[in-house]
Amino acid sequence: MSVIRFILDLGAVVMLPIIIFILAVILGEKPGKAFRAGITIGIGFIGINLVIGLLSNNLGPAAKAMVENMGIKLDVIDVGWPAAAAIAFASKVGAFVIPIGLLVNIIMLATKTTKTVNVDLWNYWHFAFTGALVTAATGSLTLGMIAAAINCAIVLKLGDWTAQMVQEFYGLPGVSLPHGFSAAYVPIAIPLNKMIDKIPGINKINADPEQISKKFGVFGEPVVVGLLLGIILGLLAKYDAKATLNLGMSMAGVMFLMPRMVKILMEGLMPVSEAAKAFMQKRFASQEFYIGLDSAVAIGHPSAIATALILVPVTIFLALVIPGNRVLPFGDLATIPFMVAMVAPICRGNVFRSVIIGAIVIAVGLLIATNVSPLHTQAAIDAAFKFPEGATKISSICDGANPLTWILLKIMQIFG
Amino acid sequence: MTVKKVIVACGTGIATSTVVADKIAEACKKEGINVNIIQCKVTELRSYADGADLIVSTTILKDNFNVPTINGLPFITGIGEDNVIKDIINILKNK
Repeated sequence: MSVIRFILDLGAVVMLPIIIFILAVILGEKPGKAFRAGITIGIGFIGINLVIGLLSNNLGPAAKAMVENMGIKLDVIDVGWPAAAAIAFASKVGAFVIPIGLLVNIIMLATKTTKTVNVDLWNYWHFAFTGALVTAATGSLTLGMIAAAINCAIVLKLGDWTAQMVQEFYGLPGVSLPHGFSAAYVPIAIPLNKMIDKIPGINKINADPEQISKKFGVFGEPVVVGLLLGIILGLLAKYDAKATLNLGMSMAGVMFLMPRMVKILMEGLMPVSEAAKAFMQKRFASQEFYIGLDSAVAIGHPSAIATALILVPVTIFLALVIPGNRVLPFGDLATIPFMVAMVAPICRGNVFRSVIIGAIVIAVGLLIATNVSPLHTQAAIDAAFKFPEGATKISSICDGANPLTWILLKIMQIFG
Repeated sequence: MTVKKVIVACGTGIATSTVVADKIAEACKKEGINVNIIQCKVTELRSYADGADLIVSTTILKDNFNVPTINGLPFITGIGEDNVIKDIINILKNK
């Protein structure tokens, strides 16, 4: 046990390469390739750490100045899912999440409690994230791992439940989407959609996705969003022209660089996920099973894109007006498509409805993200991410605002 | 020898497209085709599609930007992967 404890205490940059190397070898990868995969993952973390530094060093002081000068109290920085995923995989729960996720899936397949073979190992980070928050809250690694396992099981069930709808709407035969973030909105969207059905007048409204995509297209380009948001924040912080423009460029840089860094992480994870995919498929793939994929495969649908584009300005507006919100939306403005990926089929592609439901879950989500920000920040520090002295708190929309993550956290806190 | 420009698009420009890009790069290397692979989000395609020889997307495309397109989903599911690789190589060799 002391060896495991030693490895866990080495810090993410060293711990994860070791874990990935071991996992890759167990799954039958050649040692050379496994070694390279491990090193690559470690480099991904170093890269993400650098970009988080760029983000918090620039946006942190601007957010503080904005509070002082304008009284807009949005001092919790939304670092976005790339950072959240890195924090999750770098956590102690993250070290075990791949075996935990595979085991839960295999047990549920063997007991016929799920039909989904989840080959999307990358998105196990959602389960690790829940676990990392639970561990940060309770100090118990065991509770964190239990929370991750429960999260995994619930998401598999949600994937099964929505499989038929997803297959028909998106034209993805044999596929389900057991995605920790997207699937979490299914149980909320179904009753909300039924409610809208009952409101006369409102239940007839629809909007043309084509027109919206043309008008709001700019919100689909993260670099432009980053630049504009940086400049606006600079103005609100009453920076001079030079500092404002520099903030704009820095934020454009964060939007561009952050996904590049996560890509390195992904590349490192690939040998493990490909080996696990082959393993799972050999044993379970057949007519009766769904292949569980990343909801990224659904996001190109015109209704999903149009909804997400409108929700970008809506999110910023909500952040300003929702009482009690302290989250400054930033990194996850690019992640909204994932929030609506499974809402769109529930609304049968009706963009108007998807936007209404999206706005409701974002409004509540901002409060959830505000609520978890101390734990989110703690989990980041636990995972050895560096923050400047006395820095503002961080949170995210994916998964900081995830209702399923939050409910699991609150339940596990009872036992902590 | 000319360099072919292949764009791999998905919902994030990271997650599934990294897997696809890696496999296309490997297949092209085997066939001796020089490729420049660019990964992007589907919403960014408009900015990247110019001058591309092929777009491979793991998600739904509503516009082909006058470029041949291929559904990259088989790379992710693992079903029909060999056929897609064949199709990709054919398009790139005949352009």
